[in-house]
Amino acid sequence: MAELMPNIPTQTPGQSHDKPGINSENTFHPERPIVYKQINNEVRAYVWQLPVRIFHWVNMLAILLLMGTGIYIGKPFASAGIPEEAYFSNLMGWMRYIHFFAAFLFVICLMFRLYWVAVGNKFATSNPLRWIFWKEVFETIKYYIFLKNKKPHYVGHNPLAQLSYWIFIGLGSWIVMLTGFYMYFEPQQESFWAKLFVWVPYLFGGESYTLRSWHHLTAWGFMLFMVIHIYMAFRDDYLERNGSISSMITGYKTTTKKSVGEKNGK
Amino acid sequence: MKRQKTVYEAAIDHGFSRRDFLKMCTALAATLGLEFTQSDQVVKAMETKTRVPVVWLQFQDCTGCSESFIRSSQPKTESVLLEMISLEYSEVLSAPSGHQAEASMKQVFEKYKGEYILAVEGSIPDNDAYLTVAGQSAKETFLEMAAGAKAIIAYGSCSSWGGIAAAHPNPTGAKPVTSFVKNTPTILVPGCPPIAEVMTGVIAHIITFGKLPELDQFGRPKAFYRHRIHDKCNRRAYFDAGLFVENFDDEGAKQGYCLYKVGCKGPTTYNSCAEMRWNGGVSYPIQSGNPCFGCSEKDFWDNGPFYTRRAKIPGTQTTINPDAVGLAAIGATTAGIAVHAAGTVFKKKRDDKRGEEE
Repeated sequence: MAELMPNIPTQTPGQSHDKPGINSENTFHPERPIVYKQINNEVRAYVWQLPVRIFHWVNMLAILLLMGTGIYIGKPFASAGIPEEAYFSNLMGWMRYIHFFAAFLFVICLMFRLYWVAVGNKFATSNPLRWIFWKEVFETIKYYIFLKNKKPHYVGHNPLAQLSYWIFIGLGSWIVMLTGFYMYFEPQQESFWAKLFVWVPYLFGGESYTLRSWHHLTAWGFMLFMVIHIYMAFRDDYLERNGSISSMITGYKTTTKKSVGEKNGK
Repeated sequence: MKRQKTVYEAAIDHGFSRRDFLKMCTALAATLGLEFTQSDQVVKAMETKTRVPVVWLQFQDCTGCSESFIRSSQPKTESVLLEMISLEYSEVLSAPSGHQAEASMKQVFEKYKGEYILAVEGSIPDNDAYLTVAGQSAKETFLEMAAGAKAIIAYGSCSSWGGIAAAHPNPTGAKPVTSFVKNTPTILVPGCPPIAEVMTGVIAHIITFGKLPELDQFGRPKAFYRHRIHDKCNRRAYFDAGLFVENFDDEGAKQGYCLYKVGCKGPTTYNSCAEMRWNGGVSYPIQSGNPCFGCSEKDFWDNGPFYTRRAKIPGTQTTINPDAVGLAAIGATTAGIAVHAAGTVFKKKRDDKRGEEE
């Protein structure tokens, strides 16, 4: 029988199929309904809007460029093979140039994403200041360490994933941006732009060297995030068969009719 | 009371000509970072201002700052000592000693209250037991003299940031002068030691303009601490070209390549070594082939090894190799992911099988 049934997702074992219940997702921003297409009992929900997808891939490009050039700047692992005068090459110069270019891309991208939090769909934002959010973070952690759990099914990100974005994209980005801009304007301390960032050393408890350390260590935090993020995306796709991976290109994720809510349908 | 001699009169008395005096003023203006057109302000100040009384206190120090001070070439130390300032108390240079020296300090406090400059060398221990001179603790002496001073000059990294004595684990509870005094204007002249011309230049500025020079957000004079060593470095072109010394005996070292990879702290150090240089402009560490170790920066003793690039764990005095630690963390995470992925597959297969059985 199992072969004949379409492999429809996706309820965590033990979850009632009749009542989706109240969870952090379906009580969040009810005025921003989920857009979806229904095919039999399964629906294709429009989760990641086009600007969010563009942000995602541009941000990825910026982070890869920043990390590659950043590692070089911190520890220059290559140089001209033959002894020569400085006149002939500009390797560090180019690395720094690309790093700064990618940094501006990263910042513009993130500023746009912050704007999209206000106008996008419910999956474009998150609110951890809710009791149910933390309760479900706990349930999700139990789910990830293979314990018995009451993790509901989510169309978008689960609360633990949302929390990881708060920590890495939210907090981490601000650390690298503020320390980065402070360092960027260090040679022109008298300039208007440098004066915008004079308070940064006080925030991070130190001067130039400490700020650099913050920047460097946080950058590695981004790498850790990236590895875990990619694994989780593939894992989700594998378990739920919901198109997690392709959704970052198409925007649509496959999910159950119930999880998108009755009133939200077109 | 006898009228005090102006700086100009003192110079003439010491056998300088008017022409020598003008030359000195012009050079001084240049040292102070003033425009050539402002030289007349310096001349006017030197013609009208009398010598400024200075009390030079030494606490937890090594006398290195005094040693640096007496090697100033522009303005010359002797012209500073004999014409610009009246050094009333100094443990290194004073002729009197013992009770006589202490008495002269008390005399300055009474006679020149609100006029004298207090130069401080060395950090002050929080615990009085660690430093007591003439039966009085360092803190008491400092607070007493700071109360009557026109301005305080913190010479060297110890008095500016705490320095060596404040390095981990800081057994004496050493603190910079700014921790003890708030109301007297204070200028920080960090460095281990500071450049001689910067030390004398700061005094000359106070005499010339009657006020402290313009300070940055940390309290250092902008004229001397506004640039990073890195941005004024004579080896900077090699940095941008990506040509680095890997070892102190390699070809790059002979060619004068950038010292970034052998731990140069130039990119995080604010000082004027690269512009003013040392010993009358002869050289400075990077020019001589040694990486800058950031002696004028806060907590420089706790910023890791001198010849290795490290990152500091914020809030601690521990430095690590950030890329090695980062890669190790990525490796551990990847291993964890492999285990988790195996567990996920195993659990899914088992759940699927159970589903079929049901």
